[in-house]
Amino acid sequence: MEAVDLLQVLDQKQPRRLRVIENLLRGRRTVSTLYWGQRYHLLPLLDADKHLDRRALTAPAQQLVANGLVTLDSEEDQLLLTSSGQQRQSAAYYQPQTSDDWLNLDLGAARQRILLAVQVTSQYAHSTNRYYPLATDLATRRVIRPWFHRMKGPQLAEMLAAAMIHSLQQLPVQTAEVMTDLLTGYEHPGLTIDQVASEQQQTAWEIQLRQRDGMTQIARDARQSDHPLHSLLQPLWRSPVTRSAQATLYAVERGGSLEHVAVQRHVKANTVKEHLLEAAILSPMAVFPYDQILPEHVRADFASALNGDIDSWQFAQLPEALRTRYDFFYFRLYAIWRGRGMTNDGVTDN
Amino acid sequence: MMESLTTSLQRVFGFDTFRTGQEAALTALEQGQDTLAILPTGAGKTLIYQLYGYRHPGCVLVISPLLSLMNDQVDRMRVTGFRRSAAINSLTSYVERQEILRHLGDYQFLFLSPEMLAQPQMLAQVQQLQLSLLVIDEAHCIVQWGPDFRPEYLLLGAIRSKLQQPLTLMLTATAGKTTRHEITKQLRTTPAIVAESVNRPNIFLDVENVADEPGKQVRLKSLVSQLQQPGVVYFSSKQQATDTALWLHQETGLKAAAYHAGLDSEDRFKIQQQFMAGQLDVICATSAFGMGIDKNNVRYVIHYHLPADLESYAQEIGRAGRDGKPSVAILLYAPGDEQLPLALGQSNRPDEETIQRYYAHPQQFSGDDPVIQLLAFYRQHGISQAAVTQMFTGRERERNRALAQMMAYARETHCLRERWLAAFDEQSPEHTVACCSPGNTPLNLNAVGLTRQQPMVTATTEREDWVARLQRLF
Repeated sequence: MEAVDLLQVLDQKQPRRLRVIENLLRGRRTVSTLYWGQRYHLLPLLDADKHLDRRALTAPAQQLVANGLVTLDSEEDQLLLTSSGQQRQSAAYYQPQTSDDWLNLDLGAARQRILLAVQVTSQYAHSTNRYYPLATDLATRRVIRPWFHRMKGPQLAEMLAAAMIHSLQQLPVQTAEVMTDLLTGYEHPGLTIDQVASEQQQTAWEIQLRQRDGMTQIARDARQSDHPLHSLLQPLWRSPVTRSAQATLYAVERGGSLEHVAVQRHVKANTVKEHLLEAAILSPMAVFPYDQILPEHVRADFASALNGDIDSWQFAQLPEALRTRYDFFYFRLYAIWRGRGMTNDGVTDN
Repeated sequence: MMESLTTSLQRVFGFDTFRTGQEAALTALEQGQDTLAILPTGAGKTLIYQLYGYRHPGCVLVISPLLSLMNDQVDRMRVTGFRRSAAINSLTSYVERQEILRHLGDYQFLFLSPEMLAQPQMLAQVQQLQLSLLVIDEAHCIVQWGPDFRPEYLLLGAIRSKLQQPLTLMLTATAGKTTRHEITKQLRTTPAIVAESVNRPNIFLDVENVADEPGKQVRLKSLVSQLQQPGVVYFSSKQQATDTALWLHQETGLKAAAYHAGLDSEDRFKIQQQFMAGQLDVICATSAFGMGIDKNNVRYVIHYHLPADLESYAQEIGRAGRDGKPSVAILLYAPGDEQLPLALGQSNRPDEETIQRYYAHPQQFSGDDPVIQLLAFYRQHGISQAAVTQMFTGRERERNRALAQMMAYARETHCLRERWLAAFDEQSPEHTVACCSPGNTPLNLNAVGLTRQQPMVTATTEREDWVARLQRLF
């Protein structure tokens, strides 16, 4: 991420923590990272740059500060856009089209499968069988091989080309250009992200956002059972909630108290709470049993003490009576519930 | 009776004749002799063990140094038709490793890193295999790397004994007397030696003195703008390779790309394939580039930094002119350039005091430090403090000697080829103007016939739209 990329994920009113953004990109799934990721509306970027070095965003942040686009608090963590920073968040920067689905798709696997399927089909279409395959992991090679043997035939190349074109046509032209340049096939080694970035005069990060859009759109279209990549991509749709958190949620829904579920699942009580918070953050609103875990009277208790900007709420500043009655878990869950636009009178406030 | 080597060659590869050195090495192996084959880059060293593996039952175990290139090697094996090939190294995922281990006995070719083979569990598994041949690829690494970097190389001799001294093929492109001696000593064998001259008469040698770093950049830009393409520029630093590729592209419009071990596998694949397909004019690389890259029309190799020894230098310039056509190897030298290889050599070497303190109180040291890891390795393998001290002293002496030899080449005023070949105990042909131009003689590109004839056509061809480009893939 360069300074210009970092600028895009900042806000003029909401101070955003650099560490949270960094941990989000690196895929550190702590409750705190997920919660603030949601508050910043940046959750789709979870896991988007697994190999990012620690503190790799510090230099871009300092550059933004030096250019007067951002202010940084004394602890060098909270970033806030200045008004010139706001103006620089240009309309020309790429706005992803499919980010709603990023959390629900194993994008890394989808990317490998699509790239290798295209290469294999392209070489097959040109009747070559001696070529260097893209370096992919074992899991990818293992699904591509049977897929190819089942699908190969006179129509495969044409079908795949038509399907790819159909998907990419739904995205901005430049995204379709980028996607095409990144593909590998017959007499076409494909360009690297950096090469495409330099050709398109965009940052490498922007090219990656475009590639995420391209891959997601193809996976969306491959939900149709007659799509040539259906069997490769359909299994990659999944809930972003980890399996263990799902199991905890399921056990709680069946009526166990949190303590009981902890014993039953052989985990600490605190882990049960972390699982539930993770599920609350990453599941659709309707799926999470708020009425069971955070009943109306609890919400009313918190509502009496908390108002204003959710981001400024602090557990330590709650009245002592409340802090004795409820631990941090309920406080955080209430913030998630409110943060997702819910109020006790049923009126959504955002 | 077994079919003749030539019949096998014809059957497997469709060639009628061997390249120089291949047949001699195979003949020695067929007679059951361990063999050290010193064959120039591009001579087709891989074919030797491929053909041996084809002719004999069991597994060919290849010990290969470069982790990032091992998977490329396996891919190349598969492309050539040897599908029962696999590689395990520290980059192999757990799942994949388990999968390969489950079918270990089925592989005809198995590539392992020395570190992997040194693990007791792995060694136990390999001991169960029927090995037809043990191959030590890039065998000069035993000497270049062993003592102060990847010390597992030094265990190869012991490992070979544990594997019941299988028939062994040692492969390298360059090895002078000292290196040969060291390789065979480490591996505890007295092999047949198949050596071809390291001389490459079609590569014109040039050393250019520049005043300083900015002067070097100016000269580099001027050279790559004039020279016939494609070419490779070698650097000692990944960052500088990356930066220079970008700079050259911006300054000259040439298609330049960086290649080093820090790239992810997809980028490495793409850059390599682009270069093979003739889509790049120049690659800015570190030493990670080259081993195993089969491109025969590289016209120039420029060294931006001074290599640490003539063997590395010979290995790298050997990538030029494999097609036998005129090519050039240029070393850019600025006063003080020897400091970099000197510093790189020192960085991983513990001084006497550290060795002493470590052996006295090993538990007081943090295992994060690579130097301490190195000492821990030796201590765990029962090597005494005195022996370790002596080894590092000897190693430093050897490094200094190798660097001095490299420097003598850079400072040579009469004949570079003579200086180079002397280091490999070879006689040089009589010096002529077509041989080389040392630092005191300006390079005349026209006379060498390597000036680009036409200026780069920079006419912007209209690019097809993406739909047409995508359709052309299928």
